[in-house]
Amino acid sequence: MVLKLYGPTVATCTQRVLVVARHLGIPLEVINVDLPKGEHLLPEYLEKQPFGQVPLLDDDGFLVFEGRAIARYLSAEYADGKLIPKGAKENAIFEQAAAVESANFDPFARALADERFFKSLFGGAEPDETVASEQQAKLEAKLDAYEVILARYKYLGGNELTLADLFHLPYGAVISTPASPGAPFVNLEDPKRPNVARWWREISCLPAWKAVSTEAKEVLAAMKRA
Amino acid sequence: MAIKIYGSAMATCTQRVLVTAKQLGVPVEVVGVDFAAKEHKSAEYLKKHPFGQIPYLDDDGFILFESRAIARYLSAAHGDGKLVPKGVKENALFEQAISIENNDFDPHASKLVAERIFGPLFRGTVPDETVASQKQTELEAKLDAYEVILGKYKYLGGNELTLADLFHLPYGTKATLQLKPGAPALNLEDPKRPNVARWWEEISSLPAWKEVQAEEQVAVAAIKKA
Repeated sequence: MVLKLYGPTVATCTQRVLVVARHLGIPLEVINVDLPKGEHLLPEYLEKQPFGQVPLLDDDGFLVFEGRAIARYLSAEYADGKLIPKGAKENAIFEQAAAVESANFDPFARALADERFFKSLFGGAEPDETVASEQQAKLEAKLDAYEVILARYKYLGGNELTLADLFHLPYGAVISTPASPGAPFVNLEDPKRPNVARWWREISCLPAWKAVSTEAKEVLAAMKRA
Repeated sequence: MAIKIYGSAMATCTQRVLVTAKQLGVPVEVVGVDFAAKEHKSAEYLKKHPFGQIPYLDDDGFILFESRAIARYLSAAHGDGKLVPKGVKENALFEQAISIENNDFDPHASKLVAERIFGPLFRGTVPDETVASQKQTELEAKLDAYEVILGKYKYLGGNELTLADLFHLPYGTKATLQLKPGAPALNLEDPKRPNVARWWEEISSLPAWKEVQAEEQVAVAAIKKA
């Protein structure tokens, strides 16, 4: 049975799973969920995902939701636990990084992405740059602490690439790409944070991420044409 | 060497670690961090915790921050892996629950508590009920999905008590608190969600959590006397 992932390819939370699956070499069949039509709020979807969110994994009837939990499951079940360090201390530093992404990166990056990029793209409303730049300032203060960690370790969760690094890619890519030439963005390769720059350059150039972002761009272009 | 937790017995994130330690039977020593004196932003503190947050753990020189990562470490290194299910599928449901707490509970509950409880207590503000009740509505919609999960399993991450359940206790308890009689508060034992009520009643009555709350009262009394 092929693994089925329910969620749009253009959604950041779906991409978090896709980049992990690609990096681990696990084939997934992506089944689109039509969010504008409210397909995620239909009774048959809610039966599988009571919060009405994407993505959702169906592994031969075994259902898991929450992107980060799905990613961990893929590693454990199909890839010998790759991207998750095993020793108690090594694993602790990985879990620290996973919690940092969740608590110190995601809330600010998401609020920033919603305001500056998604509001106009999906909601047809103008971004409020006061709100966006306030979120950016908060995020940049967190990146200063990232710089300290990444000066000590090669990756956020130690000297090996882990899920915690990959989890930054979808929102990191959105907020670091200007919507139009000269538009504001977060420079994740700012030379004032050389270790963040080195880290971001490396993870954003991973072939797995290139493949996911290329696919997303194609889907988005097709949506715009339609 | 005793395991040291730098934080405060009154802080929700420290309590997340303390209730885990007590439930596992792992003794920890709480070392107070003086917020009023901005000790958490001092150069010496930032060396240990670059984000300048609490809590952090010092286990004989091994430094770790982020409360949920510390809790996992206490289980792995000192608690025989208790409260973290081992089988791949059992672990996936646990990780799903961990993500739910992180994404569907904590953001809403922490904002609700900041508005209704921490503002008045620590900054002398009057709660803005428009903000608070909006957060409560958002949280209650999530609790409807909790009801579905808890109608299926005994706990949020399956049929065994896990870290994911315990992680709800600090903000869950504060969200149900009334600073004045008759003040609005979240009812986690609302009979319209019988399974959430059963779950909350059980986990909030755990002796480990009772002890953490008693220690909080001792710390509050000491501050009032000073």
